[in-house]
Amino acid sequence: MTRHVILGGGPAGIHAVETIRQLDTEADVTLVCDEAPCARMVLPYHLAGTIAPGTLFTTDDAWALEHQVALEIGCRAHRIDAAAHRIELDDGRSLDYDRLLVATGSSPARPPIEGLDSPRVVDMWTVADAGTFLEQDPKDVVIVGAGFIGLVILDALIKRGCRVRFLEIASVILPRMLDANAAGLISAHLANKGIEILTGEALSQIEDTGSGCRLTLAGGDTLDCDLVVMATGIHANRGFLEGAGIATDAGILVDDHLRTTDPAIFAAGDVAEGPDLLTGGHAVHAIQPTAIDHGRIAGANMAGLDAAYSGSLAMNVLHTQALESCSFGRWSPEGMESTGLSNPGAGIHRQYIWEDDRLVGGSLVGPTAAVSGANDAGMLKGLVQTGISLGTWKDYLKDHPLDLRRVYVASGAPKALLSSNLLTGRASTGGGYRFPPRPPKRPRSTHHAVLVTR
Amino acid sequence: MTSATRTLQIHPDRCTGCKQCELACSWVQTGTFQPSRSLIRVHVFDEEASFAPYTCFQCDEAWCMQACPVNAIDVEPDTQAKVVIDDVCVGCGLCVIACPFGTMFFDRGSHTAEKCDLCADDPACVHACPTAAIEYVEADPVGWISAFGEKVDAGRRDSLKGEL
Repeated sequence: MTRHVILGGGPAGIHAVETIRQLDTEADVTLVCDEAPCARMVLPYHLAGTIAPGTLFTTDDAWALEHQVALEIGCRAHRIDAAAHRIELDDGRSLDYDRLLVATGSSPARPPIEGLDSPRVVDMWTVADAGTFLEQDPKDVVIVGAGFIGLVILDALIKRGCRVRFLEIASVILPRMLDANAAGLISAHLANKGIEILTGEALSQIEDTGSGCRLTLAGGDTLDCDLVVMATGIHANRGFLEGAGIATDAGILVDDHLRTTDPAIFAAGDVAEGPDLLTGGHAVHAIQPTAIDHGRIAGANMAGLDAAYSGSLAMNVLHTQALESCSFGRWSPEGMESTGLSNPGAGIHRQYIWEDDRLVGGSLVGPTAAVSGANDAGMLKGLVQTGISLGTWKDYLKDHPLDLRRVYVASGAPKALLSSNLLTGRASTGGGYRFPPRPPKRPRSTHHAVLVTR
Repeated sequence: MTSATRTLQIHPDRCTGCKQCELACSWVQTGTFQPSRSLIRVHVFDEEASFAPYTCFQCDEAWCMQACPVNAIDVEPDTQAKVVIDDVCVGCGLCVIACPFGTMFFDRGSHTAEKCDLCADDPACVHACPTAAIEYVEADPVGWISAFGEKVDAGRRDSLKGEL
């Protein structure tokens, strides 16, 4: 009986467990996780109070029973003894494995600044972090870092009635998701809504005043608020790998089977540096869709399938005060051929990034009607994902940047996509971790009966 | 896709671009006639004289379902339709960018994702179409979308030739 040990209960770990169990009903599966496995993407909605708390968690006893998984919650990996196929935990115990998956994710990276140990300075990474925030129920919040992690909680904080200010050391916001022009549209939109974004400002110190926080900037100015959220980036959790003899670069290097340089050890998610769909090289894409792909591919290979991964595609989506933005692939126009349009007055931006006649990236900003209310965001993703040659349609898209639908249909991308699966030849099944009992059959809308009479 | 599964089979040659399917779909979704809220969208490509309704293919891979961080999308056992469970969806938008067909949408009112669920095995768009351009039958959708794409592509090549 194969003994599988999965380190980390994020999306990569959970999907690996489910995939292993789908393929092998006999194997021994153990999941090690330092907190109850949760869906990090859900934290903003937890803060906003728009979801039931149960939605946060991705496993429970029923799930563990159904999948026959031994859950080891509340401990972390301390050290790997790769020669002995043994993992030592921080509580002194150890687990033997035949196949090990390292899916330990990442943690907030805090800058070296004084005063960050105050309870009024929180990260926004775990359920516990969100709890610390909610207990204090702050009304005046400064978010340090205007990247994805900072901006993704903006709507929740506004809904809670908070005054929100951002402090960003760079000269622009969202530097890892959008180019300066697109990000500028969002900054202007938020400024119109009364949300202050201080860019090009370095933080030098935070002081707990007993009733709030005082932030001192490098230039000497100060800001007073109730609570500070630190959102200055993340780093991979891989300290325990020291001495394990596994090759690492920006992350743990894995091949197209998500296998590390140790054939018994796999890595997935934020901690892994896997195949990049667009470059043919390796990249860390610390995003949910990549974690899920990685988890499924790693799980399949751990269970004995021969599943190759064509590579991960960077993608992000953000809603900020009714303005939507998303980007795909190699979205940065720097050094690349780019086409598109920008209409700052209407808050609309659209950018396509080209390599010859193939789309290798792009970004959309606009109201819902122009982004997720249209077919276009997904179609752009489909064209980048398939890397299909667009021939003379490239010129057409140059002249008609809003008419992506026609280019997409003519490209043949739907045909290519309809016959592709991540795990070759296997249709996806539903009923994952959140549905111990299957949901009731979805009822038809009452309007349907008015229209369709027999 | 199992052989007994019915899909929306589109006949672009019969579509006149009247958009009654969009009206029907938005009515079912919202109780109002708003094409912008329809989950089926008619491609009206006048230059190529090509029209076709376009909605979710209920694809095997179900990128939307895989990307969802809370499993708010599941496979309906009877129809194999991928359906959004409204009270589980948090509205993060990941499915919208993960679907490479562009057939996931975001509901501005409820702040949740929405997609074609085949009206629980009785698609209203099929009833609304006056020319039977949408049929709900056992068929692989690859056929019609490939032929339609080729027609749109050929139409442009012809018009470019005309310019020379």
